[in-house]
Amino acid sequence: MSLPNFRKFLIEKGGLSEEEFSQVEPFIKTKSVTSYEFLLKAGEVCSHSFFVEQGVLRFYALNEEGKENILQFATESWIVSDRGSVFFQEPSTYYIDAIEDTLTVVLDDAFISEVVKVNSNFRIQNEKLLQNHIRHLYKRVTLLIGATAKARYLEFVNMYPDIMLRVPQWMIASYLGITPESLSRVRKALANENFKP
Amino acid sequence: MKTNKLRSIEKVTQPGTPHFVGDGFRVHNFIPGTSTMQRMDPFIMLDYNSKYNFPPTNQPKGVGVHPHRGFETVTIAYRGRVEHDDSSGGGGIIGEGDVQWMTAASGVLHKEFHETEWSKRGGEFQMVQLWVNLPAKDKMSSPKYQAIVNSEITKVALPDNGGEVEVIAGNYEGHKGSASTFSPINMFNVKLKKGAKTELSFPENYTTALLMVEGDAKVNGDTNAPQDHFVMFSNNGETFTVEALNDTVILVLSGEPINEPIAAHGPFVMNTQEELIEAFQDFNTGKFGYLED
Repeated sequence: MSLPNFRKFLIEKGGLSEEEFSQVEPFIKTKSVTSYEFLLKAGEVCSHSFFVEQGVLRFYALNEEGKENILQFATESWIVSDRGSVFFQEPSTYYIDAIEDTLTVVLDDAFISEVVKVNSNFRIQNEKLLQNHIRHLYKRVTLLIGATAKARYLEFVNMYPDIMLRVPQWMIASYLGITPESLSRVRKALANENFKP
Repeated sequence: MKTNKLRSIEKVTQPGTPHFVGDGFRVHNFIPGTSTMQRMDPFIMLDYNSKYNFPPTNQPKGVGVHPHRGFETVTIAYRGRVEHDDSSGGGGIIGEGDVQWMTAASGVLHKEFHETEWSKRGGEFQMVQLWVNLPAKDKMSSPKYQAIVNSEITKVALPDNGGEVEVIAGNYEGHKGSASTFSPINMFNVKLKKGAKTELSFPENYTTALLMVEGDAKVNGDTNAPQDHFVMFSNNGETFTVEALNDTVILVLSGEPINEPIAAHGPFVMNTQEELIEAFQDFNTGKFGYLED
């Protein structure tokens, strides 16, 4: 199976050489899901992370009224996981499901060990990814606490350039912590500002 | 008699598994499905909704708001009616036999749905949507529409009561087509009566193909082209013949390749990766305007 995005990820972000990549290639495990299918449900222990080769996943919690609060989307080359559940081996309170038919690469301890065997630097690269994720979460919390809907939206589309064409508006509103109506208002205001027919 | 060299058939493709575009268009993709955008240049996408019966509904089916940049969309309605609206305030209805030629160019947001009244009755729906690439110099020109109703389409009768040719664009035997184009494009509906035979000729380098909209034909004397199949020609000659085995409607496409780099992602078809990124940024920041869902 050809996995161009995962290959690029291990070489560019993971620091592997072409040759090292071909050494770990036999250990790659993939999992495909169709849209609406779950990769994780609340109550289960999340046993690994998912790298998105192709497709879109979302990571969300349900509030007391059953409303979905979306924490993260994962498009091509993103990694999604309930890291807390994986690390502490405790039941997750989150869900991961697919918005499009999605092909993922399963990143578990066994695979990481194989990569580290061929390139011990990968452990540092993997740590860097975790730190980068934490930095991203700080920024996301800051925006959610203090930024305008417009600022949140602009940061969001900058990070996920093609997502407005792939994900329903109400899910984007959920991610941004605003109502679908305010998302419409933000987009209308931007069009008024920037549309020059 | 013409003495041009025969153009042979590269392949005949049967319609593949259909998929839905939105919930209103059940299409077989022939371009780039059967080949690549580069090979089919200047025709970069062809979705064909073969005859399909939509039940009556009060909720018109279709495709919600989406952008386009860098090319033209051509919608040919064979059966059914579609209404459309766009971010520059344009809109209208494409009825049976009509053609809508939309130059998205620098960018439009639009939506396309089965017409409300048609939806209430439901019925047989059959349509083609084709994307025609624009030369680099025209990709960022102003959007425009050519709403070509059937009565305005140039029609040329074939000899011996054999049928007629609707010249949507280009030139058929000296008769100019109704649509204006940015690069040389021929687009005809060739309507042949059972048993009628005709010959068509285009420059050797033109990308040339047929979509069998209705009925079956024999192409170049010996190749069967059944209904709903797509016939792609080689670039080794000018002329080919079609002979109708029953009453047929054939969409004939022939265009000069633009021969420029293609960078395509979803609804944007540009020349470079940078232009694609810019298209996404412009779309996300409202530069395509706004259209209510």
